[in-house]
Amino acid sequence: MRIWLEKAHEKYFSGFWNPFIVLLLAGVFAAFYFGLTGTLWAVTGEFTRWGGNLLQLFGVDTADWAYFKAIKLIGEPQDRTDGWLVIGMLLGSLFSALASKNFKWKVPRQKRRWVWGFIGGIIAGFGTRLAMGCNLAAFFTGLPQFSLHAWFFIAGTAIGTYFGVKLAVLPIFKGKPKISFSRHAAKSTQPDPQHGNYQLYAAVLVLLFIALIAAWYLISGKIMLGLAALFGAAFGILIQRGQICFTSGLRDLWLTGRGTLGKAIIVGMAIQTAGTAIFIFKGEAPVIHWASPGALVGGVLFGIGIVIAGGCETGWMYRITEGQVQFFAVGAGNIVGATLLAYGWDHWGIFDVFVKGWPEVNIVTSFGWGGALFGTGAFLLALYLLIVWRENWYTKKINAKRTLFEKKTSA
Amino acid sequence: MAENFTVDATLDVRGESCPYPELYTLEAIEKLEDGKILEVIADCPQSFINVPASCKRHGHEVLSKVKDGTTLYYYIRVCK
Repeated sequence: MRIWLEKAHEKYFSGFWNPFIVLLLAGVFAAFYFGLTGTLWAVTGEFTRWGGNLLQLFGVDTADWAYFKAIKLIGEPQDRTDGWLVIGMLLGSLFSALASKNFKWKVPRQKRRWVWGFIGGIIAGFGTRLAMGCNLAAFFTGLPQFSLHAWFFIAGTAIGTYFGVKLAVLPIFKGKPKISFSRHAAKSTQPDPQHGNYQLYAAVLVLLFIALIAAWYLISGKIMLGLAALFGAAFGILIQRGQICFTSGLRDLWLTGRGTLGKAIIVGMAIQTAGTAIFIFKGEAPVIHWASPGALVGGVLFGIGIVIAGGCETGWMYRITEGQVQFFAVGAGNIVGATLLAYGWDHWGIFDVFVKGWPEVNIVTSFGWGGALFGTGAFLLALYLLIVWRENWYTKKINAKRTLFEKKTSA
Repeated sequence: MAENFTVDATLDVRGESCPYPELYTLEAIEKLEDGKILEVIADCPQSFINVPASCKRHGHEVLSKVKDGTTLYYYIRVCK
């Protein structure tokens, strides 16, 4: 038993999992989560409700805020499936970080990271709610619902991350590295396999805790809450094991020409689309949002925000469970930004300017099943080709630079 | 695993998160001459994937990785 456990641990928790396999699994789980509960794997709607719940704690009356009515701010996080999905994700990711001994409190050396994390978090949080969903409900799990707003959001995010990268390399964002040019011997200590074993015991405790929560709700008849916690835990484990950072998937494409994660995200969406199509065909109601300029503008804001902050909504969630404390600032920023949008929705007329009058386009009812499947497939293929093109462009750039250097040195 | 070689420069990116471990590493490599060895000390799990991938892509050689608890030490030979 012990040897078997050690082998399994070595196999699954010593390195990271292949992002293609992780996102394929995430796609399958997301489709089943939709099929079983009728809701999506999503997080920012719940963050907005947290903002509302916090305001209520301080005695603010949010009953007449139109946005909270639209996203159904009822009860507290523990009463909602979305609430347990988020808590489940945090616990699942924490389990995974501990089980792989990746947990370590990490404090940024440069104070600017806190500031940009918070500001980027606000911009991203505001943008996602303007679009009615983040990299999940308006992207990864939104597109497979055949909701046109996800197309706008994805396009906006691609544009936004491009400009975000232009900002992130400026000195005020980048800061200064800690580098020294002193000659010394390389580190040669062999790693101690027993090191950090306390993390494994903590991991077991977290896993038990998840099981208890799920069992409690399943036995007491609140099956949806139990399912949400379980699926949340599965999503949390997957994003930590695969280091699934949507920010990295888009940003690195522009910054360092790496497209592995981006391609994996597309594969995950493709498999999920096949799954949701079956459930919708069998009668499950898809989740459709306004295909408005708000979805596009929200995507651009989201793209800029996540690059400045260093992580999107799913990214900061798994990173705080690895002990990266600057991401608490990103998470707080997200909640502030989302709550600001909820306030401005009717109080500042954001709804009237960006969303009012625009339809909720369900591609299936508008173009039929053939059009919806073909269109979504073509859209995903176009994104895939865009990534391949960008990778090749960057490789050419590196090679051109090297040839130039060789010419210089030989001359 | 760890051979005996001498490091010419050390980049400490502990506490930094993406994309800066990767960006700082590529910039530090730019400052070094061909054949020099850069040590990168990192503790952000995402950088465990990004830093070596980017170094290889730019044609540099990742000589070794030494894991010490949750911290990784990379040794990269600059190839220009």
